[in-house]
Amino acid sequence: MVEPGFALAVFAGLCLLLAALLWPERGLLPRWLQFARLSERVRLEDALKHVFACRQEQQACTVDSLAGHLAVPSGEAAALLTRLARMGLLRMEPDGPALTAEGARSAVRIVRIHRLWERYLADRTGVPPAKWHDQAERMEHALSTEQADALDARLGRPAWDPHGDPIPDASGSMPPAPGIGLPAATPGRAVEIVHMEDEPPQIYDALLADGLVLGGRLEIVERSDEGVRVRAGGRDWTIDPVAARNVNVRELGPDAPVEAPTATLRDARPGERVRVVDISRACQGPQRRRLLDLGVVKGAEIVPELVSAAGDPVAYSIQGALVALRSQQAAWIRVDRNGAGARPEVA
Amino acid sequence: MPSLAPGACGGCAQHRTDSLLRLGLNPDKWDILIALAGNPNVGKSTVFNALTGLRQHTGNWPGKTIVRAEGAFAHEGKRLKLVDLPGTYSLQAGSADEEVARDFILFGRPDVTVVVVDATRLERNLNLVLQILDITDRVVVYLNLVDEARRHGIAVDAARLEQRLGVPVVSGVARERVGIDDLLGAAYRVATGQRETRPYRLEELPGNVEGTVAALAGTVAQAFPQVPNARWVALRLLNADDAVVEAVRSGELGQLGDEPPPAEDAPPPAQGVRDHVLETARRLRWELPPDFQDALSERIFAAARSLAAAVRMQGLKRARFDFDRTLDRLLTSRTFGFPLMLAVLAVVFWITIEGANVPSGMLAALLIDQAHPWLHGLAAAAGLPWWLSGFLLDGVYLATAWVVAVMLPPMAIFFPLFTLLEDFGYLPRVAFNLDSLFRAAGAHGKQALTMCMGFGCNAAGVVSTRVIDSPRERLIAIITNNFSLCNGRWPTQILVATIFIGALAPAHLAGAVSAAAVVGIALLGILTMFVVSWLLSRTVLRGEATSFSLELPPYRPPRVLQTLYTSVIDRTLIVLWRAVVFAIPAGAVIWLVSNIEVGGATLAAHGVSWLNPFGLLIGLNGVILLAYIVAIPANEIIIPTVLMLTVLTAGAAGTAPGPGVMFELDSMEATGGLLRAGGWTLLTAVNLMLFSLLHNPCSTTIYTIYKETRSAGWTALSTLLPVAIGVAVCFLVTQVWRLVAA
Ligand SMILES: Nc1nc2c(ncn2[C@@H]2O[C@H](COP(=O)(O)OP(=O)(O)OP(=O)(O)O)[C@@H](O)[C@H]2O)c(=O)[nH]1
Ligand SMILES: [Mg+2]
Repeated sequence: MVEPGFALAVFAGLCLLLAALLWPERGLLPRWLQFARLSERVRLEDALKHVFACRQEQQACTVDSLAGHLAVPSGEAAALLTRLARMGLLRMEPDGPALTAEGARSAVRIVRIHRLWERYLADRTGVPPAKWHDQAERMEHALSTEQADALDARLGRPAWDPHGDPIPDASGSMPPAPGIGLPAATPGRAVEIVHMEDEPPQIYDALLADGLVLGGRLEIVERSDEGVRVRAGGRDWTIDPVAARNVNVRELGPDAPVEAPTATLRDARPGERVRVVDISRACQGPQRRRLLDLGVVKGAEIVPELVSAAGDPVAYSIQGALVALRSQQAAWIRVDRNGAGARPEVA
Repeated sequence: MPSLAPGACGGCAQHRTDSLLRLGLNPDKWDILIALAGNPNVGKSTVFNALTGLRQHTGNWPGKTIVRAEGAFAHEGKRLKLVDLPGTYSLQAGSADEEVARDFILFGRPDVTVVVVDATRLERNLNLVLQILDITDRVVVYLNLVDEARRHGIAVDAARLEQRLGVPVVSGVARERVGIDDLLGAAYRVATGQRETRPYRLEELPGNVEGTVAALAGTVAQAFPQVPNARWVALRLLNADDAVVEAVRSGELGQLGDEPPPAEDAPPPAQGVRDHVLETARRLRWELPPDFQDALSERIFAAARSLAAAVRMQGLKRARFDFDRTLDRLLTSRTFGFPLMLAVLAVVFWITIEGANVPSGMLAALLIDQAHPWLHGLAAAAGLPWWLSGFLLDGVYLATAWVVAVMLPPMAIFFPLFTLLEDFGYLPRVAFNLDSLFRAAGAHGKQALTMCMGFGCNAAGVVSTRVIDSPRERLIAIITNNFSLCNGRWPTQILVATIFIGALAPAHLAGAVSAAAVVGIALLGILTMFVVSWLLSRTVLRGEATSFSLELPPYRPPRVLQTLYTSVIDRTLIVLWRAVVFAIPAGAVIWLVSNIEVGGATLAAHGVSWLNPFGLLIGLNGVILLAYIVAIPANEIIIPTVLMLTVLTAGAAGTAPGPGVMFELDSMEATGGLLRAGGWTLLTAVNLMLFSLLHNPCSTTIYTIYKETRSAGWTALSTLLPVAIGVAVCFLVTQVWRLVAA
């Protein structure tokens, strides 16, 4: 019979070997896959997208801007542009490279996949917003047109991505991003956020950390060189000029209510009757629709009834039924705690 | 009166036939088609059973029916076809089952749709009713569960509801068949057009949507003048609803209006007109605010609320003692929640183990000790050659008899017990309590439900994962379902636990100790399920847990007799039949491998000696491994195979009727003695129990996984991962055990 100590040692060795090979992100296999993904094609597609984006935003498009965007030496960036031109996707104009019709079609296709994938991540997975962009950056090169169409159908043909950008439809048509830049908004007015640019990620993360969400409401306090001073949820702070340019808003009517500091369903105590104000726009897609279908609509009364053995989820009485929600979902539901009062005691 | 034949015109009959075929129904077999729709868990399947006399499974948790069921019956000389749809909260078609229901009502064009409504939760149920009334005029509302509503102090004025909704409303108690005949009468009259309906329609839309919808609705109405509700079509087009877009593109939309039937010569609008509708929809889509869904839902619920307020009768006294809440407080409390869950699990296993002992013995005595020799006598009298009677009786017959004796009693006890718990409404509470663990593991809270189903049968558990709508989490639930110790594996667990572990305890405790050992294995399975779910959601199925909402249904007193009947007849016999089907060829193979000799030894002996070194390394032996390989189609015949092969290799031939014969030894001691003679120790027993928990799913489950995932890769992973875990765990236990023992 094999010596147990020896057998265990061999087993441990095997485990280590497997771990070194397969460990997510750091194992040899994942790393190799990562490397293989950064192929020539990926860089060409990224270059195409860059030219498309800066043309749309009417910014200067140069070899240097491309090199900076892709983090490659400018020699390589120039080579990429030459190759794109030879493929008939791009032509050189006096003010820099511009896409041909064919090139624009390819670029829109990539943008479409990118935004669809972000929509998918937002709707169907629990992946946090800060990670959407990176994952979509990878998927946009991996999905075929057919796969993208299938995804589009499965998601119910969404019109907007979770940052408020329009998703081009299969024919490639889409309207421009909605709203006006935050710096252009009139002081004293209430605005609704309709678009948050997700690139560069540092700025996007900072905006998220400030509590900005798509569909959220702000009051513009003042504009200055330091940025835009805004008020929401009972506090005010300044968004610096660079970040402010990444936020598009829609001005609301002069008497539109700006969000008062509201409680969420998570704050409600067991037995306390609260009234729904709305569902945060951070909750989108089927998750939002499911809540609506269950009767979580403006004005509906909700009473927390039961706390599960582990403390989360909590079961709420909604439209007469007992429905369990996780605390993350309860935090999406904004409620009015004063409107309804305590539950009338059972007769 | 419109004709009863499906479709009154040539063209639309053809259209309807096509869409019915697409929906998987054969359209020539009935005169009237009835669809049964409603929120989850309102008693649709109960109504279905009451009308058809069939026994479709019911259960007190939302999502019990996941595939459409059909039944037929006769009424007033007409053939009626009834289709039980999965429960849905709305028709906005978010998840797959909602799509099934929506497509059926829209494209199957039932002659009448019966909407079952829960009288206690009127607002939420009316939300769906109003959406269905938007699609079709031919609706009958069945106000079910009025008994339960009364208990909660709620009564509904059905006559007034009927007047408000404009369609017939019948109230009743489906379980007691109250109101079922009235329902049938009303449905029949609506289907045949004897009863005109004037359905309530939500005309006005929220301000920010109204303009856009009205514009598109105008275009739709122009192109398809016969469509009854152009606004609804416009809304669906603005939602880019693929099914409706396709209906416009193909012109089928024109045929969908149920009245008046389009004249035979009304052609679908020209291609250009249809494209214009779609083009307009595409353009207008960008003008809608992203949250227009919210406004729509608000509008419907506001209507539902005012309807409900108008028809609910006041003044009823609510029962003083709220049984549901009190029980819920106990079952989900911090102190008692988990212990009670464990206790319920232990009691169910204990009743099964204790209760199955005696009938198992009796069946074995009857089928094996008595019938088997008698059959041999018969064969000898008929002059069958030894190899034929050996093959048939010692191989095929004994394997079958063993499977019946070992499996029938525990299943006939477990399934009804489980169904009673299910009917009572306990399962959703289990899911509620366990949810935080599942969330931590990155899995879906409803996986608790599918896990519970897996304790009965893993294949059924895999199918039930359809209640999970996130694909990633559904895959996790499918892959880990095998860690629920299914019925087929208990006999092994029980036998081994009784012989080797129960024997360690004093005689009067032996039963409880063996039950505890089996419960321990089941708990280990649950633990493994959590660990593997966690690992999967960190690696190949990377992602965070999505949100989940679970409705906790009210407790409902189970109907004991009906439960016994359906669970014994349907579940038990079906699972047993499958086992028998697999046992027959396996019995034949066992007999063959132990009777065909190659190079002086039987095939079985070769296999055992070849597998033995590896078997010993992981604390099992060659016999057990060979038995697993032979029994790959069905786990439940492991133990007989092991016993037979042990006899063969240990040379304890004196106790057995002959090589390759499966048998039941008269007593546990005799079985234990035989196994010990074959080199078994306590360590072997523990490892066998572990390996029987942690190995590949049975062939039916593997096939089901393939059918559900449509992916060879995920099927392979679900098959191989448990084996790898089993081998690793047995190996570790063995080596550590030996290290400590040395
Ligand atoms: N008290 C009472 N219970 C009922 C009545 N009708 C049905 N039930 C119970 O309600 C529960 C749900 O019934 P099902 O028929 O399975 O419900 P379903 O609508 O088919 O549910 P899904 O298939 O999950 O959508 C079962 O436990 C039934 O026994 C009734 O009229 N009164
Ligand atoms: Mg059902």
